[in-house]
Amino acid sequence: MGVFKLKKGYDIPLQGSAERRVEKAPKTTAVAVQPIDFRGLRPAMKVEAGDKVSRGSILFVDKQKPEILFRSPAAGTVREVVRGERRVIQRVIIDVAGDTAEKFDSYTADQVNAFSTSQAKELLLNSGLWPAIRQRPFSKIADVEASPKAIIISAVDSAPLQAESDILLDGQEKTFQLGIQLLSKLTEGKIHLSVSEKTKAFFSNISGVELHEFSGPHPAGNVGVQIHHIDRIQAPEKVWYLSPRHVSQLGSFLSTGEYPGSKTYALTGSELEKRYYVIGTEGALVSDLVSTTLQNNTQRVISGNVLTGAKSSSLGFVGFYDDMITVVPELEGRRFFGWLRLGLQANSFWPMFLSKLTPKKKLAPTTDMNGEERAFVSTGEYEKVLPMDVLPVHLCKAILVEDIELMEQLGIYEVAAEDLALCSYICPSKIEFGDIIQKGIETMEKEG
Amino acid sequence: MKSLLQFLANLDVKLKEGPFKIVHPMFGAINTMLFTPGHGTTTGPHIRDSIDMKRFMGIVIFALVPSILVGSYNVGAQAGVEGLFAAFMFGFIKLLPIIVVTYAVGLGWEMIFGHINGHDIHEGFLVTGILLPLTLPPTIPLWQVAVAVSFGTVIGKEVFGGTGMNLLNPALTARAFLFFTYPGNISGDSVWVALDGFTGATPLAAVAASTGPAVEALNSAGFSVSNMFFGFVPGSIGETSTIAILIGAAILLITGVGSWRIMLATVIGAYGMALIVQFFGGDVAGGMRSLPAHYHLMMGGFMFGAVFMTTDPVSAAGTNAGKWVYGILIGVMVILIRVFNPAYPEGMMLAILFGNVFSPLIDHFVVQANIKRRLNYGK
Repeated sequence: MGVFKLKKGYDIPLQGSAERRVEKAPKTTAVAVQPIDFRGLRPAMKVEAGDKVSRGSILFVDKQKPEILFRSPAAGTVREVVRGERRVIQRVIIDVAGDTAEKFDSYTADQVNAFSTSQAKELLLNSGLWPAIRQRPFSKIADVEASPKAIIISAVDSAPLQAESDILLDGQEKTFQLGIQLLSKLTEGKIHLSVSEKTKAFFSNISGVELHEFSGPHPAGNVGVQIHHIDRIQAPEKVWYLSPRHVSQLGSFLSTGEYPGSKTYALTGSELEKRYYVIGTEGALVSDLVSTTLQNNTQRVISGNVLTGAKSSSLGFVGFYDDMITVVPELEGRRFFGWLRLGLQANSFWPMFLSKLTPKKKLAPTTDMNGEERAFVSTGEYEKVLPMDVLPVHLCKAILVEDIELMEQLGIYEVAAEDLALCSYICPSKIEFGDIIQKGIETMEKEG
Repeated sequence: MKSLLQFLANLDVKLKEGPFKIVHPMFGAINTMLFTPGHGTTTGPHIRDSIDMKRFMGIVIFALVPSILVGSYNVGAQAGVEGLFAAFMFGFIKLLPIIVVTYAVGLGWEMIFGHINGHDIHEGFLVTGILLPLTLPPTIPLWQVAVAVSFGTVIGKEVFGGTGMNLLNPALTARAFLFFTYPGNISGDSVWVALDGFTGATPLAAVAASTGPAVEALNSAGFSVSNMFFGFVPGSIGETSTIAILIGAAILLITGVGSWRIMLATVIGAYGMALIVQFFGGDVAGGMRSLPAHYHLMMGGFMFGAVFMTTDPVSAAGTNAGKWVYGILIGVMVILIRVFNPAYPEGMMLAILFGNVFSPLIDHFVVQANIKRRLNYGK
């Protein structure tokens, strides 16, 4: 087992972590599968409003690669295919009724072990769970034709208030192991499973993986950071990654022969009074999971964590890759001489507020930008929250001037927006590093 | 408070368009200084650090307060004013008009360029506007200040695209402009004491003019280590008091605003180079060559420059490795200029501008090293 002790990074001291207790979701009225969760996806619809679907029915496929399927996590009736600007399909909403399920073949561990690569791929594609596998570089659904140099699974929960892997996977060791067996057919290389001090006990008996222990502040749990330390990506290599929960979901599909629509979520954030884990459905409606009423004008509902999650609302749905909801207070308005305050309650990485004297004290910051965008001024601090040998400011400047060669040289293949989220967080000039990286990735995809 | 907010909001709408559009950048700056801008996040990260540029620059100004206080007192003390408060007031009344002119002219330019480029006045000028007066002699004619600020702001900063894009430190650019255009008002022996007809050489000038051992020359001119450390010697307003600058340095370092790498490297570079110079020339030659290394650190603009000017994040090297090279380069250069260029007994301003010019090149090599590591990974 490789041990990696990362020093750089930052854990934002936030109120609102979830209790380690699991309950059933109060209700399940609606679910949605959202093409916008999958970057760059153009869906070709297979259903329309009013159609009856079962759990496992195909809702849409990837227009460019029709073998990539997206299946319904629940049975019921299609309420609406929601379109946004320029008629881009945003989500397919299903009113849940009953629990009829499509039947697939089920497999034992021995049968899975005997699969060839093409059989494994075919099965995975057919399961509707292929989109769970993403690839670096570029952080998007894995290329079906590619053969990855490695597959990495991170069970290091470092993001703010992040759902803990051992609770999400409680009682699913067997299906997790089966999922790993299937994945091992997809690569000639290794399957890296990274764990933390907290989660290593849960995964200690898993075979067919190379275990790595990561410690340190966020973003130590990001696969981009981990693969940088384990075995760096060099063009044209590809590394695939997926969450431990998706591995287990794969195993569950194999052993039951049904699309596994159930999913555990952490309910977190300082604005939620009761915070715990709920078992709901994939693509769940937020108000189905949270028992209290949410105020959309004073509370920010986030699908995912505060750093990288997507803005949602009580009427929104949790994203495909997210297994938590965070609710934080919305910004309250303008503060008198805000820049002069002593800042006992000010959340800050910088030692410029009194709150730095109580670094352990958990705070409940609002969605205030706390400033306005300015030119790059500060230097040297961003590196402190990025545990990679990457120069964040220089990489971003290369992206802004669209110097493709320099972007490659400075490591655009190694990073994704989520890896630089903390750079945006601590930036006194309020520069959106994540957006810039995203732009860089899109430029590379277009030009490369 | 509510009605004030409403008033500002109404004024904001009115000033955005119409005949008074040109003052909108200035209004925007005042508006967001009174109340936080109040913008919410739209994408992740949904929460943001409480830090902003106003806090960042505000701390630099806070760190300059000890230098302003001691510097003002010293202007009075040098002019022979008795009493702590009286001397301070005498000096402050000399300093205040310089600051007012700097801000008025500088902010005027910022407003024009803010209008052209469509942004509010940025906070960087708040610091420049204090830094420049502190590097000037108390007798500087105000019209020269106005000309220098115009040059520093327009040529030193705005032609490059404004705050964050400039190659040189704007305050030092302005000072260098004065130094070469009106040398009679910013160097020599007659400008440091704010009293007509009185002259007083700076310690550096006293050493430069001497032929015998430097310490003796200093002593005979009445400069002791303690009055150079506390700042009771002739010199530019803010540069004389080492202790006041060190208090400022502590504030910058504790808050993380100033780079400890640059400060330390600059001191190491100067101290090391001074030791070398003294080792090879100390016995045979008098004057600057015989000046003990630690004297260099207390004299002239060295400490003020090392703490407040070299650490300007925009004009300094941006990479952490580069900061070491940049600081050492400046430290070495300042000693070389002081010792081997008799025309300029003060070398700090030129050394920093020299470092500014080279910082992109230094960063280039650090970036190339990063690229090489990436290429060679696994080989």
